[in-house]
Amino acid sequence: MQKLIYIFWYIRKMRYVKIANEQIHDFLNQLKQYGKLYAPVKVSDKFYDRKEIDDVCDIAFDYVRTLLPAKKYFIHPKEKMFDIDIENGTYDEPEEKIEPFVLFGVHACEIVGLRILDGVYLRDYVDTYYKRRREAGIIIGLSCLPDDHCFCNLRRSDFVDIGFDLFLHELPDGYLVRVGSPTGHKIVDECAELFSNVTQEDIAAFREFEEKRQQMFSHHGSFDNMRYLLELTARDELWDEESEKCLGCGNCTNTCPTCRCYDVQDIPDIDGKTAERIRFWDSCQFRSHGLVAGGHNFRETKKDRFFNRYVCKNSYFYGLGTSYCVGCGNCTYFCPAGIDYLGNLLRVRSASEPEEVVHEHN
Amino acid sequence: MNTTENIYSLYKCRVLRVYDLIEDVKLLLFRFENPDIAESWTCKPGQFVQLSMPALGEVPISICSSPMRRGFFELCIKKTGRVTDKIHELKPGDFVGVRGPYGNGFPVDEFEGSDLLLIAAGIGMAPLRSVFMYAVDNRWKFGNITVINSAKFGNTLLFRKELEAMRDVAEAENIRIIQTVTRDPDWPGRVGRAQEHIKHANTDPEKTYVCVCGPPQVYEDVFNTLIKNNYDPRKIYVTLERRMKCGVGKCGHCIAGTSTFLKYICIDGPVFGYYDIISTPGLI
Repeated sequence: MQKLIYIFWYIRKMRYVKIANEQIHDFLNQLKQYGKLYAPVKVSDKFYDRKEIDDVCDIAFDYVRTLLPAKKYFIHPKEKMFDIDIENGTYDEPEEKIEPFVLFGVHACEIVGLRILDGVYLRDYVDTYYKRRREAGIIIGLSCLPDDHCFCNLRRSDFVDIGFDLFLHELPDGYLVRVGSPTGHKIVDECAELFSNVTQEDIAAFREFEEKRQQMFSHHGSFDNMRYLLELTARDELWDEESEKCLGCGNCTNTCPTCRCYDVQDIPDIDGKTAERIRFWDSCQFRSHGLVAGGHNFRETKKDRFFNRYVCKNSYFYGLGTSYCVGCGNCTYFCPAGIDYLGNLLRVRSASEPEEVVHEHN
Repeated sequence: MNTTENIYSLYKCRVLRVYDLIEDVKLLLFRFENPDIAESWTCKPGQFVQLSMPALGEVPISICSSPMRRGFFELCIKKTGRVTDKIHELKPGDFVGVRGPYGNGFPVDEFEGSDLLLIAAGIGMAPLRSVFMYAVDNRWKFGNITVINSAKFGNTLLFRKELEAMRDVAEAENIRIIQTVTRDPDWPGRVGRAQEHIKHANTDPEKTYVCVCGPPQVYEDVFNTLIKNNYDPRKIYVTLERRMKCGVGKCGHCIAGTSTFLKYICIDGPVFGYYDIISTPGLI
């Protein structure tokens, strides 16, 4: 949190520059000197994923969502916590060299998601593994246009003030760059020949883009009262119907930018002398999640687990004053059972019958 | 805690003694190997530690000894799975890894000057023993104390002998110990569920703090009886269990509550007040 406060202090001197389309590839090549460059690339007809970039021409600027959110760089899907010597009962932290890396093209919702993870992983007890990677990562944000599943505007996470080093806003002939951290300033200073000053036309274009983007969202208003409505409708038939469709696969939690549950396991080596303590992503949609010693399960039924995700995501995150859900729409987009998370929340909000929304299904 | 230190690293502890309490339940006494940690380590009644068995994993266990005993602590462990099976094989002299203490613990500072009523059912005596021992060690800080310890059978009453042995001294100190069983026809003492003995307590309902621990199904009846006997619902506390993997509010296994009251039981609990419990589905 201290880091966040520091950044917040810095935001008062927000600096704006512009980069032209012709310069953007040079800029991306220059970014590689700050660490390994990861950016979204198209991996199939429909899907994008973040990969290490060799040729900057591969980078997809118009992607909406990636297969896994940016959290995977900070909490690895599976990571080693300790090397265990079974005979001596010692636990040694693996010596891992964390190399600096650059995440290019992170959308506003994911940046808010990372700040929520900061609030959890760096609060009170500081998670060393997360903190080291967070310090090594440079975040370059990128503006986006929403698709049918996006509702970050209802979550107030459609525009970020802090949590990035640079943020690129699309202009007709380039990008307006907001500088959000000391590292961001340093990058702009060191690549000064690529940047120019922001002109009146650029400001007009930025305004136009923001306006167009706001109009593209399918729903307007706010979800601020959602947590109260969810509690009041906890006994509705809606939850029986919807949880019935659920396959319990955990795709929604894996693709969520703020889902952070993990499980820990000790894996012994074949010789029985050493072992590894690993942690890996877990999901509250699994039956094992609420199990305690003696066999009692605090989330016994599929409906319990299904509703738990809704209340957990919609609860209040004190650190930012928003909910844990950032409105990215990943859980709906990647749900194999076609459960419409946003649609269900809209039903809770307006209590009317759902509109027949025809989503092009994946 | 130092921020550069890994919060998941463990303190080495030596097993000093192992006692058999009842079938499948053992009481283990531990000491910190590092004298500096033994000196500085403190806990509050109702907190828990993460106990690690190499190559098997970690389990969260309530501390059941008084925090007044520096450098030592006791854990009461029931055999319920892979890790606890292995813990039962520990012998004096063996080493284990421990980290903690975690959780909010009982607000014992707030209890000072009031009467105490501790109601345990089944294995629930384990966490409440830390409150009881703390109160005994600081006898002058509290008013009258009653402990109600209940179980199904006489030979499954946790800490039965210990409580029996201190009964005479306790009575002189205004501590009432009530041990009751529900299903044992051969038991010579009191019978019936824990709540049926609340009326025998020596505590004044007007100024009593109540701590309850037991399996989830006992709470409702205990609460109802307490309120019927004029105990203040704001002064009823309950300690809960979950299978915490981290103990520090990260892993999410103990998240419970609803959208306006979402709590990590490991850092916001495991001790919760009566109104939190009854207004939050899924907490117990």
